[in-house]
Amino acid sequence: MTFSPNKFSIAVAALCAALSINAVAQVPAGYPAEYASIVEAAKKEGKLIVYAATDSKAAEPLIKDFNALYPSIKVEYNDMNSTEIYNRFISEVAAGGATADTLWSSAMDLQIKLIADGYGLTYKTQELAALPAWASMNNTGYGTTFEPAVFVYNKKLVAADEVPTSHAEFVRIVNAKLDKFKDKVTTYDIEKSGVGFMFITQDLSVNDKFWDLAKTLGAVHVRVQSSTGTMLERISSGENILGYNIIGSYALVRAKKDPNIGVVIPKDYTLVMSRVQFISKTAKNPNAAKLWVDYLLSKRGQTVIANDSKLYAIRADVTGETTSSSLNKEIGAGLKPLQVNASMLQYMDQTKRLAFLKQWKEAAGKK
Amino acid sequence: MQHGGFALVDLLLPIPPLAGMTFLLLLFMTTMTSRLNWPRGVVVTLTAIAIFLPLTLIFYQSFLSAPFFMPNKVLSFDAYRFIFDDSDFHTAFFNGFVLASGLALIAVPLGAMLAFLMVRTDLPGRAWIAPLLLVPIFVSPMVMAFGYVVSMGPVGFYTSWVQQLTGVQPWNIYSFTSIVIIAGLTHVPHVYLYSASALKSLGSDVEEAARVAGASPLQVALNVSLPMIMPALAYAGVLVFFLGFEVFGLVLVLGDPEGHLVLATYLYKLTNKLGTPSYHLMAAVAVCLVAVTMPLVMLQRWLLKSANKYVSIKGKGARQKVLPLGRWKWVAFALIAGWLLFTIAIPISGIVLRSFVSNWGVGVSLIDVFTTEHFRDILEQPSLMRGIVNTILIGVVGGALAVMCYTGIALAGHRKQDGVSRFLDYSVLVPRAVPGLLAGLSFLWVFLFVPAALDNLLKGWDNGVALWLSEHLIPQLRALRSTIFSLWLAYSVVWMAYGLRLISTAMLQVGPELEEAARAVGANRGQVTRDVTLPLVKHGLLGAWLMVFLIFEREYSTGVYLLSPGTEVIGAMLVSLWAAGAVDLVAALSLINITLVAIGLGIALRFGVKLHD
Repeated sequence: MTFSPNKFSIAVAALCAALSINAVAQVPAGYPAEYASIVEAAKKEGKLIVYAATDSKAAEPLIKDFNALYPSIKVEYNDMNSTEIYNRFISEVAAGGATADTLWSSAMDLQIKLIADGYGLTYKTQELAALPAWASMNNTGYGTTFEPAVFVYNKKLVAADEVPTSHAEFVRIVNAKLDKFKDKVTTYDIEKSGVGFMFITQDLSVNDKFWDLAKTLGAVHVRVQSSTGTMLERISSGENILGYNIIGSYALVRAKKDPNIGVVIPKDYTLVMSRVQFISKTAKNPNAAKLWVDYLLSKRGQTVIANDSKLYAIRADVTGETTSSSLNKEIGAGLKPLQVNASMLQYMDQTKRLAFLKQWKEAAGKK
Repeated sequence: MQHGGFALVDLLLPIPPLAGMTFLLLLFMTTMTSRLNWPRGVVVTLTAIAIFLPLTLIFYQSFLSAPFFMPNKVLSFDAYRFIFDDSDFHTAFFNGFVLASGLALIAVPLGAMLAFLMVRTDLPGRAWIAPLLLVPIFVSPMVMAFGYVVSMGPVGFYTSWVQQLTGVQPWNIYSFTSIVIIAGLTHVPHVYLYSASALKSLGSDVEEAARVAGASPLQVALNVSLPMIMPALAYAGVLVFFLGFEVFGLVLVLGDPEGHLVLATYLYKLTNKLGTPSYHLMAAVAVCLVAVTMPLVMLQRWLLKSANKYVSIKGKGARQKVLPLGRWKWVAFALIAGWLLFTIAIPISGIVLRSFVSNWGVGVSLIDVFTTEHFRDILEQPSLMRGIVNTILIGVVGGALAVMCYTGIALAGHRKQDGVSRFLDYSVLVPRAVPGLLAGLSFLWVFLFVPAALDNLLKGWDNGVALWLSEHLIPQLRALRSTIFSLWLAYSVVWMAYGLRLISTAMLQVGPELEEAARAVGANRGQVTRDVTLPLVKHGLLGAWLMVFLIFEREYSTGVYLLSPGTEVIGAMLVSLWAAGAVDLVAALSLINITLVAIGLGIALRFGVKLHD
């Protein structure tokens, strides 16, 4: 396998190697002494292949910091969309060639399916105690982020009293101003977007007025898109003015640069998505992958996730704006995280999935 | 199955790809051996493998219940049953047919007229119009569509102006009619290129005769010039019809808000509709597409049965004279200018604008949001920079290599009206009928599973040579996947019909008497090719290189599944970045892509590669 090297990570690795030339295998504070053997083995592997659905730009601070800890491990970060990750991974494993050491994706259901199908390496992370119980599966897959599903609106075109602050408000306001919102509300096309599908089915299970919401979306001829970026773009331009169930981390990053974008975290309940990470059973560099998993979940890694990547830290002991602890203060019991366990697989059943899609399309006027 | 791939039996029994492939080749070889000299044999065999190995994989996959490499797969018709039951499939099929027909109806007449005006008449400004005509070909349709959203969408720049002037929402860019019109107008250059190169090689004596007899320029075009290039027009017509069925990016971007589906976007939807990617359904859709388009190829071949009657470069020199348009001149010019404005100026101004602002739309002053940050972001990301370099490489070097291969294939079918030629003729059109996304995926499978199968085979033999090969050759084969070679091969096969048409149209117009003359004075087959045929089509080949360069620069869907560090190209990265929603980078990268190609085109023209001569 001749992957061409990531120049950036080489540069960082070289720099750090020069600085810490005499450093011995360091074990992070609080880890057992045996951990040194994993670190040693990882150094021998010298490389880590990550398939991830997180932008390179958001991942860069993490890789940089990981390399500051383990300068001799070159991280080869492959940024692709979540379906590509799944496709490439299962094909490559079946062909017996080189593939990812670790997979990190927002398509929780696909990740959980891979784990349930036995593709994952069992590795009990050192940080397990710091994770919420719903965020780990079979000591194999771990949720790494805590990203709320939010409402997004155009600040210039939606007046302050028209901004919904809860799901109930959303239904009330949109119904009261059908003319204004007609053709102007957008959400995921749940047939094309896995994340959109997960959010909607989660809505169904926690919101007993779910079908009212679906009918409201139908009444305003909801416009659907397959990605978050295109929805944000259209809300910003004014083509659409209100977005439903959008990944909060992306919306927040855009809102910081774009004065047109406003973000609301719904008060009655907030769905939370967590990027799932697991190590491949066929990993060529399993030890480096273990260090990566532990790093991402460590307080240090989570601080970078919150402050630099803006993906919302899942650990309760990390504080700041984009963290689960701040969301907890704001929303409290209303937080409804999507579980990292087999319950996410119920809609993988073809009949059940198609039946739901049909019902949804009828209600939301997409038929 | 997690480790070490899958068993050999899995691959060779009962009728899976390799066996099917081998069977096909054997059958082919035994019937054709008498007609094959060895260079021809090698060319034909390699071409057949490159085309049919991935296609057989798709065909086989469509009859399975799960991915072909999974142990739990069984043979079944479930995939077909599912899609035939799915109302989305029906809609998508119908829409695809409407789109392809509408596209051909718009593109063929306009392209042919455009060629006539550019090649035959004294239209003003031909020199600078010529390179502009190619722009819609080399801009990825997805980016084009995005340009239209920014410029002509509900709150686009031009829409807002018109709305301010007239007070009404002037058009709906998301309606299916708009999509068909845009697709039709952006495919005009494809038809234009084929028709123009055919017209170029045609003497203008008959046209002059018509003029002398009192025909108007329009009558000359419709009754004399265009009928004479029927072969080129028929090829172009069938090809744009194919392209119509494969239109993906345009519908992906413009069809989303109102939910318009065509087969290619339906296929894309199948990656998620059932939760996990449904290869068997995708493959079944692709097989349906091939089944629909193949009869058209038959029709086209039937139309062209007597290609000989179109031979027009004869031993004696053919003179070409410009036809004066007279009072029609400015009407024609205005039409072309209007078309250029709509297909080039409007969407590209949208992209340029979007690449230099952080946000736009209602109530945004563009001066306030000006930024060069998107370009700085690209400079900082090594993978994006690598993508830019690779895009140049695959266009220039890969394009040249592809033209060499195409020329070899064209020669293998040249002047030989036998089964082998017919086989090649039909074969090369098949990959074009498979949507690029799936074609790319099947090439990924080839690069993954062929080395795995060979490895198993070699290990099964268990002798020194086999083990040595398994030790040394297999890793090299496996490594091919993450080199740009994999991408080049996929591109070359997918666009083979295209490049080949350019070359063989040029070759058909070389009168056989010139080659026969060389044979008569004692030249062997190789010498005839080297000293007569190739020099005569030299300009055709250079033109083909330019054309293939442009096509490779903008290709976007085929590379998506082959994308890995080392094989990044702008086109595939655009799809990936679009899916991830990185609109800023998409706009900036598109602009870079357009600029690169414009530079390449400029250099080529500067050094005398003429688009027409």
